[in-house]
Amino acid sequence: MLIPFLDSWRALTHPREAFQDLPPPLGVALGRMVAVWIPLALGNALLTCWRALQGYEALRKGGLPLDLLATAGVDPTVVEDLLKTLPPALPLTRLLPWLLVLVPLGVLGTWLHHAVWDHTGLWLLGGLKAKRGFRTSLLAEAEALRHAALGTLVGLLSFLPLLGGLLSIPLLLLDGYLWLFRGFALAARHDCEPWRGLAATVIHAMLLGCCALGLLTCLVILLRVGA
Amino acid sequence: MRRVPWLALGSVLAGLGIWVSARLAPLAGLLPGCAFKQFTGYACATCGLTRCILALGRGDWRGAFHWHPVAAGLALLLPVAVLWDLRRAWRGEAYPGLPESRWARLAAWALVLGTWALQAVRGI
Repeated sequence: MLIPFLDSWRALTHPREAFQDLPPPLGVALGRMVAVWIPLALGNALLTCWRALQGYEALRKGGLPLDLLATAGVDPTVVEDLLKTLPPALPLTRLLPWLLVLVPLGVLGTWLHHAVWDHTGLWLLGGLKAKRGFRTSLLAEAEALRHAALGTLVGLLSFLPLLGGLLSIPLLLLDGYLWLFRGFALAARHDCEPWRGLAATVIHAMLLGCCALGLLTCLVILLRVGA
Repeated sequence: MRRVPWLALGSVLAGLGIWVSARLAPLAGLLPGCAFKQFTGYACATCGLTRCILALGRGDWRGAFHWHPVAAGLALLLPVAVLWDLRRAWRGEAYPGLPESRWARLAAWALVLGTWALQAVRGI
């Protein structure tokens, strides 16, 4: 990998050809995924916390549009008094040890979660006929998520002032593509038609996502547009 | 060679999560609710799941069955799954693959769609 993420770029732009080589052992695929994704996820989590703490401090210092609240029938003095009672924000350095524990756990949890649901989705669509078991799904997810980590890198653009807000919709579309991208890896490693792999990720989203993904989308939009 | 009983471990974690969620019940009111229902006016297949889990955390099985009968039924089967997994793990038997039968897949589809229809019709 002479240029970082070059192979991920190629995989994301040519997903049908991305998983045609012999698969690596599961441990190797997992190691590669973790090596790429955890540092990026940690950077993303640090920036998210930093922004959230900034937003909280701005709120404490009266960052709310009190005039607007007054027009909505809310007494601004009551809100101001309430905001003054809020405790000061924690320093980011106190959150760092927690992030160092929670982010790797989150990455591994996401990998397992995707593998379980995508495997179930693929079974529901009859895509497991090649009799390759759950281990193959774990491998496919690890390979796909390593490439999809490029999306986390691009997602860091959302923290740029002004540009971040403008990019919120394109980045959401990118998130959608990266969700589907796992389907190509699943299909290739389970030796079934690509549509089954793609549809498995869609079923995953439908089964779980009606509620949870809707909430997550709202949160992502708020985080990207807010503060 | 014995193997790790992942299913049993996962079930224990799920039980712990349910117990913790009951302690966090006062915060449940802060959740914005189901986005799918807000957009369409119809419940989704997972509508009622949070309230079901909170009811399970309180030990309120009647409430849990009311909010999400399928999830409550699965929770009821969890101890059976734990014993099954522990027995197989002790004997070193690998996990069986998902059944290849078309009927099994159709039954799973029926369960998912039936749950959705049930929750939508009841307006959960």
